[in-house]
Amino acid sequence: MLSKVLSFGLNGIDGFVTNIETDIVGGVPHFEIVGLGDTAVKESKERVKSAIRNSGFEYPVKHYTINLAPADVKKEGPIYDLGISVGILSASDQIRTKKYKDFVFLGELSLDGSVKKIRGCLPILISARELGFKKFIIPKENAEEARFISGIEVYAFGNLKEVVEFLNDECEKEVKPLETKRFEEVASLKHNKLDFENVKGQAVAKRALEIAAAGGHNVLMIGPPGSGKSMLAKCFSGILPDLTFEEALEVTKIHSIAGELDLTQGIITERPIRTPHHTASIVSLTGGGTHSKPGEISLAHNGVLYLDEFPEYSRQLIETLRQPLEDGQITVARANQTVTYPSSFTLIASMNPCPCGNYGAKGRQCKCTPAQIHKYLAKISGPIMDRIDIQVEVDNIAYSDLHMEKKEESSAEIKKRVDKARKIQLERFAGSKTFSNAKMSVAQTKKFCALSAQCQALMEQAFDNLKLSARAHDRILRVARTIADLEGKQDILPQHLAEAISYRGLDRKYWSV
Amino acid sequence: MTDREKFIVYMSICEIPNKKQELFLEELTNFSFHNLFRNNLIAQTLSKEEYHKFVSSYEPMKFESVLENIQNSGIEIITIDDERYPSKLFDLPDRPLVLYAKGDLTLVNERCLAVVGTRRPSNYGKIVTEKFVGTLASSGFVIVSGLCYGVDEIAHNKTLEMGGKTIAVIGSGLSKIYPQSNTNLANEIVGSGGLVLSEYPPSFVAKRYTFPRRNRIVAGLSDGVLITEAGTKSGTVHTKDFALEYGKDIFAVPGSIYSEMSNLTNELIKTAQAECVLSPDDIIEFYGVKKTEQKKIVNVTFEEQTILNLLANGERDFEFLSEQSGISVNILNSCLTTLEIRGLIRKLPAQTYALI
Repeated sequence: MLSKVLSFGLNGIDGFVTNIETDIVGGVPHFEIVGLGDTAVKESKERVKSAIRNSGFEYPVKHYTINLAPADVKKEGPIYDLGISVGILSASDQIRTKKYKDFVFLGELSLDGSVKKIRGCLPILISARELGFKKFIIPKENAEEARFISGIEVYAFGNLKEVVEFLNDECEKEVKPLETKRFEEVASLKHNKLDFENVKGQAVAKRALEIAAAGGHNVLMIGPPGSGKSMLAKCFSGILPDLTFEEALEVTKIHSIAGELDLTQGIITERPIRTPHHTASIVSLTGGGTHSKPGEISLAHNGVLYLDEFPEYSRQLIETLRQPLEDGQITVARANQTVTYPSSFTLIASMNPCPCGNYGAKGRQCKCTPAQIHKYLAKISGPIMDRIDIQVEVDNIAYSDLHMEKKEESSAEIKKRVDKARKIQLERFAGSKTFSNAKMSVAQTKKFCALSAQCQALMEQAFDNLKLSARAHDRILRVARTIADLEGKQDILPQHLAEAISYRGLDRKYWSV
Repeated sequence: MTDREKFIVYMSICEIPNKKQELFLEELTNFSFHNLFRNNLIAQTLSKEEYHKFVSSYEPMKFESVLENIQNSGIEIITIDDERYPSKLFDLPDRPLVLYAKGDLTLVNERCLAVVGTRRPSNYGKIVTEKFVGTLASSGFVIVSGLCYGVDEIAHNKTLEMGGKTIAVIGSGLSKIYPQSNTNLANEIVGSGGLVLSEYPPSFVAKRYTFPRRNRIVAGLSDGVLITEAGTKSGTVHTKDFALEYGKDIFAVPGSIYSEMSNLTNELIKTAQAECVLSPDDIIEFYGVKKTEQKKIVNVTFEEQTILNLLANGERDFEFLSEQSGISVNILNSCLTTLEIRGLIRKLPAQTYALI
């Protein structure tokens, strides 16, 4: 007997249809899965066998051939277990109706017959919906992430027996598809997060982060150890604009593929913040590997990538950030496949001003030689500095400031201003591929950052007197544009420009000792 | 170039100690190369290694091309026989017999002031150096320093910024400038009509002992030596010692008694070895130079004036300015940058600002 069951595989962040064809004939007992499966696919033979038996069904001693079509695409993971077992059960007439032909089956099986969670459920459902598939059977554990996709019928089951009962119409109770949830319901739920309210002092750094959030600019914070750089970075995601549904789906997709999704929540409603350690390998950052998984920079998609102790990261690692910073995606090419993951993030980097960390710090003596400081700063290459718009210094806080009663502004208040500035930008860039000031093209910079004569004069003077490098020019214009947007001003005024210039600390000569 | 001059250059390239060089010049009469290689006095005076170097470094013909190469690269060779040799150095007990120079040699005859100090100045040292050099350079002093990190670098840079003239005396060959990062600065100095000097041949790589030694030229060239900030372990001690030996005027800027970086200057003032100077005007008056009129600060906004007033008593950090002035963060930031662009204040590391 022959049966055909639908399932889906994953390539990058997109799903592709897989037909599971099962042929059972008499003869010498044998079991073979063909269709370029990896070890996990091959091993599903044992899981399926035990799961069928332990669910109270029969596993006839016969000659089995399973084909995963298309046969020339590599298939990974245990995602086909459920589909294969349904194929076997229908080919052996234990599933008697033809209802299964309408469904797409996704799920891993346990030896006792329970259906276990899979990675990448959400992206598969999204791709499948686009391809016109309507009905799905998925593991119960993946139910929450499926609830946010409208227009499809999804059934979630905990074990194989329930699936078969459902397909045979033998259920005692009527089984209903999952109820969909609206994104807005969960989006309003706020989690406990660090708030700028709790960060004392650091007015300049906070202001810089506000501008960064408003314009999507990358930030480098420079300051002695213990000055609160990490704390500031952690607060940063709280002032970013809320995720839209589309963005949230993208983020959830990536986290789902990486298997990092919080299954009780289903969809990710807050911008992610990723903080890979400086010993991270390149593959863990970019993604890829034998079982291609998105890396840290893709997990930070639509969120924040925070790199603490920036110069400690290997040169090669930092250089790999160049493509994603420019294009908002990363293409990982490997011998057997090429995948592209989205990775549009805001980079927040922090570093000490010198190897010992105390250069310029109040009340501390730096022990580094000038040559050491030069060498330390030179670890960050020009092209990377080129992509960081805002450089801000963070200094130690005096003890008295820590205990000041002065009320600090909360993240919510800052966020209101950020949202307003973002709205202006969305209107400005309507119809183009740009969404924020930071990503303006050269032509757009020219158009939207025109300077008055007075501003021109200031800029010229700044270049002469502060010895700014040429690469700073467009960066300054973009940041100035954001500052003007924060104030709701149409034109860039001299004070906006001056403030933008103040965030180019490392370009200036004073930094050299 | 006479044979005698060539001999001097040859000795400098072979790194023959100064005293022996002087001795040979005094005793020998015939300086043609063929004689020298067989000369008894030279053979006896030089140590084994020195002699080996002396006889095997260069073939006479090859040496000619070395000389040519040096001159072709824009470096002038001035021996004590040269009339351009600075008269200030001529009578020094340990004078260099040859100088390699790039730039305007006539500068050495003008009123020169050495500005020296620590390689790692504090914020205070930076401001003080800038303040003094700024005024003195624009009052016509030629600023002499060592092209090293810290105070040296600031002194040269500030002079260039003010359109003044500066002389850099370096402790390495002119083609091997140390620190390498200051190669550009050296070029700027030459380009601005300044002078870069060394007693070491162009390809000579700096050694530990060459820095204290070049300090004698720094002290020798100058009428006075200004020490802006230096600790007792600083190389500035050597410059001070040479200046004392040569009878030059020494000026020192006092610093905090708790600051290690001001140990030397405070000590010099205490022991009356140095003249205590509190403003550049003290030096200007000392030499009786005509003062240049200070530019009046005009055209500042109310906020900017508030900031200038707050900075009147020394360096302040951003938090202080923000609290005391009550100006909002973004406006304060832009005001400070505007003032900085206009050259009225200076930004120091860690969000600290000071008047220039």
